[in-house]
Amino acid sequence: MNLLHLCQWLYASSLATTIRESQYGFPVIETAHVLGITVLVGTVAIVDLRLLGVVMKREPVSEVLEQVLPLTWCGFLIQFCSGSLLLFSKAAEYYWNPIFRIKLVLLLLAGLNPLIFHSTIYRSVATWGESRITPIRARLAGAFSLTIWGAIIVAGRAIAYFHHR
Amino acid sequence: MNMLSLFNWLGNTSVGLAIQESNWGIATGEMVHLLALAAMGGTILLVDLRLFGIGMKRQPASRLARELSPVFWTSLAVMFVSGVLILSGETMKCYYNPAFRLKMLLLFFALLFHATFHRNAVASATGTVSSFRSKSAAALSLALWLSVGLAGRAIGYL
Repeated sequence: MNLLHLCQWLYASSLATTIRESQYGFPVIETAHVLGITVLVGTVAIVDLRLLGVVMKREPVSEVLEQVLPLTWCGFLIQFCSGSLLLFSKAAEYYWNPIFRIKLVLLLLAGLNPLIFHSTIYRSVATWGESRITPIRARLAGAFSLTIWGAIIVAGRAIAYFHHR
Repeated sequence: MNMLSLFNWLGNTSVGLAIQESNWGIATGEMVHLLALAAMGGTILLVDLRLFGIGMKRQPASRLARELSPVFWTSLAVMFVSGVLILSGETMKCYYNPAFRLKMLLLFFALLFHATFHRNAVASATGTVSSFRSKSAAALSLALWLSVGLAGRAIGYL
């Protein structure tokens, strides 16, 4: 079974068919997905801006990060669930959508960034976390995160502008 | 000058005409609007949840709001500019769209609430415990901004 078959199988599933055939299914889930951006990307952005020394400069980085992280995970859950449902309902179309593929790659990069950040520079946060100016690698991680999440939002909006014929 | 002629004027400005003629004008405006939504919604959420006693509890709500206010006002300004640009590209669609009218009304109340009751509740939330006043300000603020967002998304469906 290849990826196209998987997408076709998802598309034909009863859950996907129910969403597709219901008048309000897709719009309601899409609205949740759009507003869920605030919970996921909005909270990520605050941490990134702290790393860049733009906001909450007097708060230690670890304080900001640890307090925001549970909300970020809530946002991730909302976005993952709503996004999966949207994908299932149009899987056979999105398979051919170049922007959808780009968005998946960007999501992978957005996921790798904190993994690398936490296993490298963040390990020594106790030594630099209280200063307004953070090490260059921490600032790079913040700038990269903001850029990638911004690109994900842009790509997400652009998916709807590409139609497979 | 009534509202209809104001919309007509906006649609006939050089910026409005350029957006209407461009293939990507509205789409680009929407993307910028969404990017600013992420930042603005994030700050509203963090401050209002703090007023509830959830999330960033280690600093008082008043300090959190003060720290995040540059992000809030900057992203609000970007939302306003991108919103006006989108509007200038589809003035007549918006003028006759009930969701657009509702959104403008809700936005007015959300901003009014933000600048009055919410602002005062935040300013007095200097302690660690959430008062009833804090919680009601947070609940109303979240409800108002959420309804602005819902009505905004609905414009595209009507």
